[in-house]
Amino acid sequence: MTDQTEAIRQGMLLADPQLSRFDPMRRIICHDDFSRGHCGWSQLVGNYEGSLDTMLPGYAQHTSAMLSTLAHWDAGSHGGYDSSYALKIATRPRPGAQNVAIKRLTMRHRGPIRFEAYVTYKPEATELRLGDNDVRSWGFLFDLQGGDQVAKRRVMPHLRFLNADQGETLRKWQYKPGQTQFTDIGSEKKTASHYHLSPDGWQDLPGGDQLMCFNEIATKVNWHYMCFDFDLDAMRPLAFRVNDREFDVSGFESIEIPAMPNLWNMLNFAFFVETDAAKRAFLYIDSVCISGDF
Amino acid sequence: MLPENITAILARNERWEGAAATEPFEAGWAREAVLFVRSLKAPEGTKPALRVQISPDGMHWLDEGATVEVPAEGEVAAVRLTHFGNWLRLAGEFDAGSAATLLVTLHLKA
Repeated sequence: MTDQTEAIRQGMLLADPQLSRFDPMRRIICHDDFSRGHCGWSQLVGNYEGSLDTMLPGYAQHTSAMLSTLAHWDAGSHGGYDSSYALKIATRPRPGAQNVAIKRLTMRHRGPIRFEAYVTYKPEATELRLGDNDVRSWGFLFDLQGGDQVAKRRVMPHLRFLNADQGETLRKWQYKPGQTQFTDIGSEKKTASHYHLSPDGWQDLPGGDQLMCFNEIATKVNWHYMCFDFDLDAMRPLAFRVNDREFDVSGFESIEIPAMPNLWNMLNFAFFVETDAAKRAFLYIDSVCISGDF
Repeated sequence: MLPENITAILARNERWEGAAATEPFEAGWAREAVLFVRSLKAPEGTKPALRVQISPDGMHWLDEGATVEVPAEGEVAAVRLTHFGNWLRLAGEFDAGSAATLLVTLHLKA
């Protein structure tokens, strides 16, 4: 791309109210604004074979994401960043409950990609108190596997903001390295399952402490910017930013497992949220922009 | 642009006994809804009428008035809805010794 072409591209992005708040790489893979529907973000259903009873409990708890106006009992609809709607991921109301929304693509080019979003998180406003330690964590993950001619491994970078645990204030970013335990599902030897969002194995991201604008009652929210760059060729993170902070990802590791027979070129993105209290935790996603350097 | 419509799974392979309900679902963008209930296993004991409920806030619920019976194993029952505001859920009260294992599907259309 010439300097002039790049300048035109940047100028067009900056002048577009929908894209100006993002910094996409050269090609926009998708721009999901949830005032246009669910945009391909669906429920993460667990694997099963023969009977739904074979599904791991971590997945069985998942429910469908919904389009929300962030409607509150005391102040009505909060609305999204600049439309009425956001995508809402809600847990069940018991400590440790989690829920996930996922977008499933495949990759056509193995190079750098950028994952940007505007998000916010709150507990259900069942009490007349802030509840700033009621959301245990929220975060995102990629589920990646290269092409059938090259890939030897499935790579799953995970990042979560651990807000609190068992009522303890934590406020820090964590990643999840290593492998996870697989369970064969059914008897045909074609399906296995692993609950990679289990509480074990998370590591602190060095320098990853962060205080967020949570506001002062349970029904006031502020939108947060997050951006994660990842190289699909080297399968390594390149950068991670949240609001005004840039974090060092040089020590970051992904979950890595041997390549699986039905997942070639998989390019999945997921958001998740977990509650620390006996009340629902909500992760709201106003918009997402996924772009690539190709 | 085509009008939005989605299919949401409100309960999947959930065993309902005693007082049970789906998780709250925000559907304010939709003008119409159909709730489907399928029994994945043979219901046990008496089969209550499941009640459609609406809410101002997702926390305080009242009966909308429509009900749907727990169907026999493998069968599907449905109820059609309009003017439900934003929040929807399905609730049921099962007598002692009664239970059902359900798939609850919500179809929404703008």
